[in-house]
Amino acid sequence: MPSSNSAVSTHGLGISYGDAVALHPLTLDVQKGEVFGFLGHNGAGKTTTIRLLTTLLEPTTGSARVAGHDIISDPLKVRAAIGYLPENVRLYDRFTTRENLMFFARLSGLEKPADAVHETLDFLNITELADRRVGTFSKGMRQRVGLAQAILHRPDVLFLDEPTSGLDPMGVRQLREIIDRLNAAGMTIFMNTHLLSEVARSCTSIGVLAQGRLVFRDTMQVVAARYDEHSLEELYVGVAAGHSEVAA
Amino acid sequence: MTPSRLLARQSLAGLMRDRSVLILVAFFAAMVMVTAWLGWSATNTVNAIYADAAQYLAGAGQPVPSNPVGQSAPLAVLRNLGVYISLIGTFGAIVIGQLLIEADRRAGTLPLLGTRPFARRDYALGKMRALGVATGAMMAVAGLISVATLFTIPSLVVRSADLARLGLFLILGWAYITTFGLVALGAAARMPATASGLISASVVWLVVTFVLPELTANIHPTASINPVSTLAATPDSAFFRVTSTLLGPVSLSEAFAWLSGDLLSFLPDGLAPRGPVPPLVTLPLALLLAFLFALRSAAKLDLTAGGPDA
Repeated sequence: MPSSNSAVSTHGLGISYGDAVALHPLTLDVQKGEVFGFLGHNGAGKTTTIRLLTTLLEPTTGSARVAGHDIISDPLKVRAAIGYLPENVRLYDRFTTRENLMFFARLSGLEKPADAVHETLDFLNITELADRRVGTFSKGMRQRVGLAQAILHRPDVLFLDEPTSGLDPMGVRQLREIIDRLNAAGMTIFMNTHLLSEVARSCTSIGVLAQGRLVFRDTMQVVAARYDEHSLEELYVGVAAGHSEVAA
Repeated sequence: MTPSRLLARQSLAGLMRDRSVLILVAFFAAMVMVTAWLGWSATNTVNAIYADAAQYLAGAGQPVPSNPVGQSAPLAVLRNLGVYISLIGTFGAIVIGQLLIEADRRAGTLPLLGTRPFARRDYALGKMRALGVATGAMMAVAGLISVATLFTIPSLVVRSADLARLGLFLILGWAYITTFGLVALGAAARMPATASGLISASVVWLVVTFVLPELTANIHPTASINPVSTLAATPDSAFFRVTSTLLGPVSLSEAFAWLSGDLLSFLPDGLAPRGPVPPLVTLPLALLLAFLFALRSAAKLDLTAGGPDA
């Protein structure tokens, strides 16, 4: 049951395309202030889950609330309360970082978009990219500008889909530091990832999705007490392969 | 500023930075200038011949008739404009309509737009607003060149009524090319592959421009690019009477040509519009249907798709 402290709560949330089930009914609760790591193989349904929670897709079964709003009956309120960084974000190549961010800030309904852009660039330490065209950026630079558009309006819940994908070790470290700072500022973070090392370092709780079903869910405190870094991988491989005996 | 206005403004800014759009608009403007030059040149030729003839007749002591340029309708010198609007203007609108959706899809920004607090319909309205402004700008360019031409041709007397008719013609042209732009916008929204969206809208345009006139009145494709031969009467045969009645209402290019001829005063006397539905009904109805198609398609656009490889 969702509590008043839930940032994300789903009840039997699922989606099918004809006979093909993309996500089996998923019941999940992520508390406010958590950094939730959502693990799973490619095609397990992680991105589909995020797309449902961000209102990009409509579920065929179940319900969900994000930041206290129903994703089906109140999609606009959900969108106003979330930020989203898809995997491989690109933005408008012919526009500068500032032009891109001003556009998204205005679309988010911010009263002082220029101030929000300035503060966000400053927060992410990318002020030097402000007046450069996005089309000239490396993957890491794009990822940071993409993150900037996701947090411009200081959302309650931030959804990150494979945020470290394609980043070099320095980029991964910088992203981790940013996630820590955002979380410290009170933002709930829901993160799809493959990187177990990132999960171990950044997340306060994890869930493992396998073939469209949630097969494991616990806090990192419990996980850390039961598994060391090596056995975390064993845990993941085990539950993802369907070894139910290790699922909590 | 409303979300649809923001989206329209951003889309227009993107179009203005797109080289293919700029080339198309420049080409359209160049062809309008060619139209103007053709009108100017033809009128000048008639003026020169008249001057020689008048001098000869006066020298022979015969009466000199008035200059035929002054007797013909001044807007008729712009008769080729309708053809260029129908061909290049429409193709430009198709490219713009397709690009308005494709730009977001290729930029991978659809998921970012889809998670912003505005309704899906606002997205569709924003794109259509951008299309309307872009095609309006094209027609404004055509209008400026046309007015400049009318006032630089000697012996041509342009009255305010003529300018009003030219204004109506430009509005008609805007509605005509925007109809095809909306079809392209809707097709792009429904078909994720770039080529599919563009080709399907182009096929609609080609059928309307070249195939339907052949079926309704035996107007061959080469004749379709001539403003005068396009306005041929329906051949007196049972086949064309039937096809003209059935297909006339959807033969938009013929409806546009008929109204263009009427507004620019070069419509042959007594030529009836094709089919039982008046062009003044056909074209607004087509614009409305294209609007609804684009609205529905863009509002249902898959916002999860996109990226550089889309």
